[in-house]
Amino acid sequence: MIINYNNLQLILNCYSFEFCLKNTFKEIRSKLVKRSIVLITIPFIVFTYISFILFQKACDYGMNLQAKKMEPFNHKTHTEKYGATCETCHGYDENGRFKGIPTIAECTSCHDRKGPATSKDPAQPLKKPFLAKHKDTDKPWESFARQPDLVYFSHKVVMTAKFEDGRLKSRCGSCHGEKGMSTSNDKIKGKMLMGQCEDCHTALNLSNKCAVCHD
Amino acid sequence: MMKDMENKMKRRWGMAIDLDKCTGCGECAVSCAQENNLPIFEDDSDIPKKMTYLDVMRITNDRDAKFPDVKVAFIPKMCQQCEGNDPKNPQPPCVSVCPVVATDTGDDGVVSQIWSRCIGCRYCQVSCPYEARVFNWWKPKYEGSFKKSLNPDVSIASRGTIQKCTFCSHIWKKERDKAVMKGELDINAVLYTPACVSACPTGAMVFGDLNDPKSEVSRLARDNRAFRLVHTIDQKKPDEQKKFRAIKNFPNPKVYYLSSKQWIRDLMRFK
Repeated sequence: MIINYNNLQLILNCYSFEFCLKNTFKEIRSKLVKRSIVLITIPFIVFTYISFILFQKACDYGMNLQAKKMEPFNHKTHTEKYGATCETCHGYDENGRFKGIPTIAECTSCHDRKGPATSKDPAQPLKKPFLAKHKDTDKPWESFARQPDLVYFSHKVVMTAKFEDGRLKSRCGSCHGEKGMSTSNDKIKGKMLMGQCEDCHTALNLSNKCAVCHD
Repeated sequence: MMKDMENKMKRRWGMAIDLDKCTGCGECAVSCAQENNLPIFEDDSDIPKKMTYLDVMRITNDRDAKFPDVKVAFIPKMCQQCEGNDPKNPQPPCVSVCPVVATDTGDDGVVSQIWSRCIGCRYCQVSCPYEARVFNWWKPKYEGSFKKSLNPDVSIASRGTIQKCTFCSHIWKKERDKAVMKGELDINAVLYTPACVSACPTGAMVFGDLNDPKSEVSRLARDNRAFRLVHTIDQKKPDEQKKFRAIKNFPNPKVYYLSSKQWIRDLMRFK
């Protein structure tokens, strides 16, 4: 408000002389300031605020930040308390290219639809209320981190590559970060760049030719 | 480390096309366009607009020849996957001119082209001796329900980019994935067939590894009937060949054509 007042003062200084020959300078100025605040400034602030919210929503929608049938899921409790690994829920497609579309049937293989809601025994299968909304064949989470169209990337090929001593050359965390320790299932913001792939390929003495991934 | 070296790509993909068997049916061109999501325009006689990786060229011995002397043959011409002077460090004419490394030779000797990296300068199209590269002058269009039948493994290029035949390298990646799913980790065990070769009804086209002396392709490449397109220096003496190979950006293609007809071989001779 202070900034607006100062600006208006500058503007009004120019106009006031013509407008208020008869009236006093102060009255007219305060009137005009009040009117301009009501008519211009407040609608402007409200409009920008609403449009910002709308744009934010649109960006989230465009980035597929809100996945379809989003359900609350805590990665951290599953990995820490119950010792689940990534492979427990995230399997491969039939061609091994993509991961990460667990169905409700995979949830109910551990969770019990008729079990208790809370229990102190970690071996006791728990009931989850949101599971009642879905059938066993439903897919509650979409895999939203697909590679671009012109990249031919196979998870299976990368995840089976091993060193001579049997250690895996890459693990889930080297690209996806410590998603297993996060408390949500939000999409990770930001893009995965080609340099990230190339860095690993260079470090592991692998081919960095274009045709290895692109077609 | 030794194991790493063993797992390196040893393949050198090449093709052999028997022109005596080729009937010019055009099946290869159709299957290639279908496999690589090439757009269809209303008028394909509009040559700059036309998008084809594989062109079935019709050649005659003489344009003005009358009935008994007319001889016709069909040459399926795609990217010849040149390897330049040195097969160990392949420098085809198109690769060295690209200012943005959109085109590059792979480990298996296939010249790749990434459309998203291409800036559309068309230097490579000019430098290509075989006119194997096509430029997207217009946005790719697909009529009606054709868009539903597109190949999901090949990305659709945008307007203003160069595209070319890559020996269907996406099929190789698919086969590699299948092998890995079965537990086979050696990439040299992966063999594949491009779309044009699998579509050929007469078996005129053969695809395989030129490095493997037992393969059908390398046997056909060493055949007496074999020649290569345009700058065929294979019939020259070894010291003369050496002189020609020393020319910078000598294409040295990996696609071999076979014909027993002398007039075709004369057409292709280095004059």
